[in-house]
Formats: sequence, structure tokens, C-alpha cells
Amino acid sequence: MPIVEKSLVEGLERSESLQVEGIDVSGDWNTFIASRVHTDLDLSIVDWVRGQPQGATIDRCWQCGTCTAGCCMHTDYGLEEFNPRYFIYLAQLGYDKELARYAQTVWRCVSCNKCVERCPKGVKVEEVVHSIGTYLELTGTAPKSPADRFDEAYTRNLLARGILDEAGLFQTFEAGEGRTLPTGEKLRMGLRLLLTGRLHTGPLAKRTRGWGRLRPVLERMLSEDLARRRQDLPARLPPKGGP
Amino acid sequence: MSGTAASPKETPAYYPGCSMDGLGKAYEVSCQLVLETLGLPLDRIEEYNCCGATEVKNLSHDVSVALPSRNLALARDMGRQTVVAACNGCVYSLARANDAMEDPATSARINARLSEGGAPTYDGQAEIRHVLEYIRQRAGPRGVRAAVTAPLKGVRVAPYYGCLYSRPKRYTKVGLEPGRDNPENPYFLDELLEACGAEVIHDYPAKTICCGGGHALSDLDVSVAFSASVLNEAKRAGADVVATICPLGQINIENNLDRIRQAYGPEVLLPVAYFTQLMALAFGRSVREARLKLNFSRPDLFFRARGFA
Repeated sequence: MPIVEKSLVEGLERSESLQVEGIDVSGDWNTFIASRVHTDLDLSIVDWVRGQPQGATIDRCWQCGTCTAGCCMHTDYGLEEFNPRYFIYLAQLGYDKELARYAQTVWRCVSCNKCVERCPKGVKVEEVVHSIGTYLELTGTAPKSPADRFDEAYTRNLLARGILDEAGLFQTFEAGEGRTLPTGEKLRMGLRLLLTGRLHTGPLAKRTRGWGRLRPVLERMLSEDLARRRQDLPARLPPKGGP
Repeated sequence: MSGTAASPKETPAYYPGCSMDGLGKAYEVSCQLVLETLGLPLDRIEEYNCCGATEVKNLSHDVSVALPSRNLALARDMGRQTVVAACNGCVYSLARANDAMEDPATSARINARLSEGGAPTYDGQAEIRHVLEYIRQRAGPRGVRAAVTAPLKGVRVAPYYGCLYSRPKRYTKVGLEPGRDNPENPYFLDELLEACGAEVIHDYPAKTICCGGGHALSDLDVSVAFSASVLNEAKRAGADVVATICPLGQINIENNLDRIRQAYGPEVLLPVAYFTQLMALAFGRSVREARLKLNFSRPDLFFRARGFA
């Protein structure tokens, strides 16, 4: 049974006036968790996460919850189910069925790194959580998230010239999300950025000299890494989706 | 890090990154004005490449280490040990690469690839500084005070550090070496703004929170909520203006202004400016020279109303 914040427990029974064998146990003793036994735990996920350079520190976690206490998504944004400690615990247990409930949540980490700063055990929490999210995505448990798509668009854009073309990235990403290009105030902002020399896009896009030689090497590194993380998946879980 | 400490007289290398040469133009221009006034030179790394911020690492660890390492290698080829960057995202990814390159196997693997692509190899000996730390370390509040000709008297400023300026310390070494800022309760910006004569709001809840900029396009709700929170908390603490130290934070907050107005009302809005724009004003530069009109939150209007030329 994973250690869980009360609010996350499924099957929690509360009763205002509860009697057990004729004795009134309401008050402090009015909450019970329905008994459950898990026999289908699968350690593939923690094995995979540990094998990634980003996830290698997962075993150090001792579940203190410092990461979650300070997490800006959990505390400031108030997304209670965003709980990095719990994600790591579920991965360590191999309880991927429970983790699947957070398929739409794990990707929302904004990478502020407060957790990495504070972790007393040196867990790179932010990267471990991203690795858990990647595993969920690669095994088809979670759909590819907007953040995953943004990371890809960003990386491709950067690798093309060595210098990011923000306007190009904006267009590619927004079009990919099926959103229309900006109008009104946002369009005026874009034009103003362009006219004040703050956007270098299209023929004005900047380029790092000598990039032509490094670019294919970096692109090969990228495709090797993307292929390797798929190859590392457990055999009984055939990778889903494209290459 | 093994090598010897950088000479205190060394002119550091300057890594502009994509933002300073683009969206962060007002930061770049005002930064140069401030450094010039204080007599703190920086030598620009030419032909740099984008650092990869927090995005590339989610796809490939090695690419995310190779990108910053190439820039650090260029700085080392210039004979420099200290590398100054003005963007929190750049500071983070440069420092993260530094940390990864301490591992001999990683260093050998990445350097082999850099060589193969005709790029210089990186010896792992650079030290990364945010420009805020550089100014605080070299000029200090005393040096800044001596340069002030138009103090920001009666201007209540909320210093906003954002996320990746100091953290995580395992990468940035902030708080782990003498003369560095405090990673949990940074104060260098407070000191510099105070030296400029501003009334600094030292404590407000949003001082080091994330601006949500990393997910500005992929998770709009979050980026609007965090941006609004920075402005709202600064305003509740009585601020007239928010000072930023990161182009990503500045741009993300300003890009969300219309949504913040719609969701939370116009009373939440505040002018937002790069700390170097405020310092330039205090050093007697005009609102125009400090490029305050480039900011969408219009700090130019505020400062003109306060009698700044």
C-alpha cells in the first residue's frame, strides 16, 4: 500500500457516526481505507528510469516529500495531484496502474528546479519526473503531451541553425496544436517585436557560423538517444507510436 | 571543479544566448550601459549557439550537454575562466553541462562528438556567473552607489529572481562558494536596487517562484497563473514596479498581460523592467536610453510620471 496523502486515496470511507461492534468510533476514528492487495507490481518502470541519464538518481529517494512540499505546481498552482514524491514512489514500487491515473498530470512540471535544489538526497527530482513521464508516453500509457511536442519543436528549431528562431518556433508549435495564428493584441505585439528588431525570423533568422558541420553530428546524437530509450523498454511492452 | 579560481581582474567571457540578441534587446542594451558605467568589461563569445534551456534535456541528455559545452569551450579558447550570462535559463543549462562534464566518461563522449563536428572541446574548467552576481561581486553596492546620479527615490521595487538564477546549487554552486548569493533567499538584487536609491520590498511570497515561462505555449493556464501571481503579490506588498533578471521571465509576464487583465482585472497589473534598465536610470541615463518603452508593461510611463527624463 503506497503512502499517500489522504486526499489521493481511492476507496476512502468516511462516516459521521460510525459504530463498530456496538462501539461508537466516530470522531478521530471515522476514516477507513478499503482493504486492497496488489500482486501485479512490475519493476520495469524503475529499471528503465534508472537506466536513463536523466533518471539515474531515482534510487536515492527516501520519500521525505521535501520536493512536493515546495513544488510550485503542487503548492502555488494548487494542483494537488501533482505530487513528485508519489510519482517516484509509484515508480519504485512498480505500481504502474496507479501511476497511469496521473498520465495527464506528470507532464505539467514547469522545471523550476526547486525540488532539485532542496532534495537532501541529491535526487534530480525534476529530471526523474520527466523520465517517468517519458516512460508513460513511450509505453502508450500517456498521450504525447503539449510539453513533449514543444520540447521536440524547440529542439528541431534550435538544431537547424544553432540559434533559436522564436517566431518560427511559435508558428510551428501553434500550427501543430491546431491553433490559429494570433490576432488583435497578440498580433500587434508580434509586429512590434519585429519592427523593433527583436525577432529574427525567415530570411533574417540568425545562424551560428560553422553550424553546418556540427548539426549532423548533433542530429545523429539525438536520433540515437531517442532510439535507445525505446530499445530499453521492457520487451513485453512493445513500443507504441512512430519511430 | 578542480582548476584554480579565476583571477579577479580577468575580463570574463559573455554568453548572450538567443534572448539577449533578440527578445531581450532592452536587457542587452541596458546591461551594456550599466557595465560601461561601472567599468566592468565583458568579452562577447562570438558564434555562440543556443544553450538548449530546459527543453532539449527531455529528449537527449547528451545533446543537452553538448550544446552548452560548445559555448563554454569557445570561452576557454578565448582564454577565459569566468563566463557571464544574463538569462536564468542560460545560467542553468551552462552550469548543468559543467556538472555533467565533471564525469570523465561523459566528458570523453561529448568531446569526441564536438571534435567530430569541428567544434572545440571543453576542458570543464569554466565558472558560470549570472550578470547580477558579476555586478554584485565586482562593483558591489558601494560601487553602484558611487555611480548613482539620479537615485530611484520613493520608487518601491519588488525584486523578482524567478527560478533558475541560483538553483539548483549543485549546478550553479551558488551558496557553495564564498562571495556567492544565497540560493534559498537571494539578496544581491535587493542590495543593488537599494544602492540605486530604490525602496526595496525584501519579502513577498512570489520573489523566487517560477514564472511558468517554460510552458508559456504548452500550458497557458499555468503560465498565466504564475505571471499573475508575481504581479499580484508584488502589488499586495506595495510595489510600484517589478525588477526582473531573466529575459524569459520578463517576456512571459509581459506576453500574458492581456490575459491577466481579463482573468484577474486591471488592478493586478504593474510595470515590469529589467534590473539593468532601473540601474541605468539611476546612473542618469534617460528613459529612452534605458529602452523602457520597449517593455509592453510600459514602465516608461511610470518613470516619466515620476520625473525621470
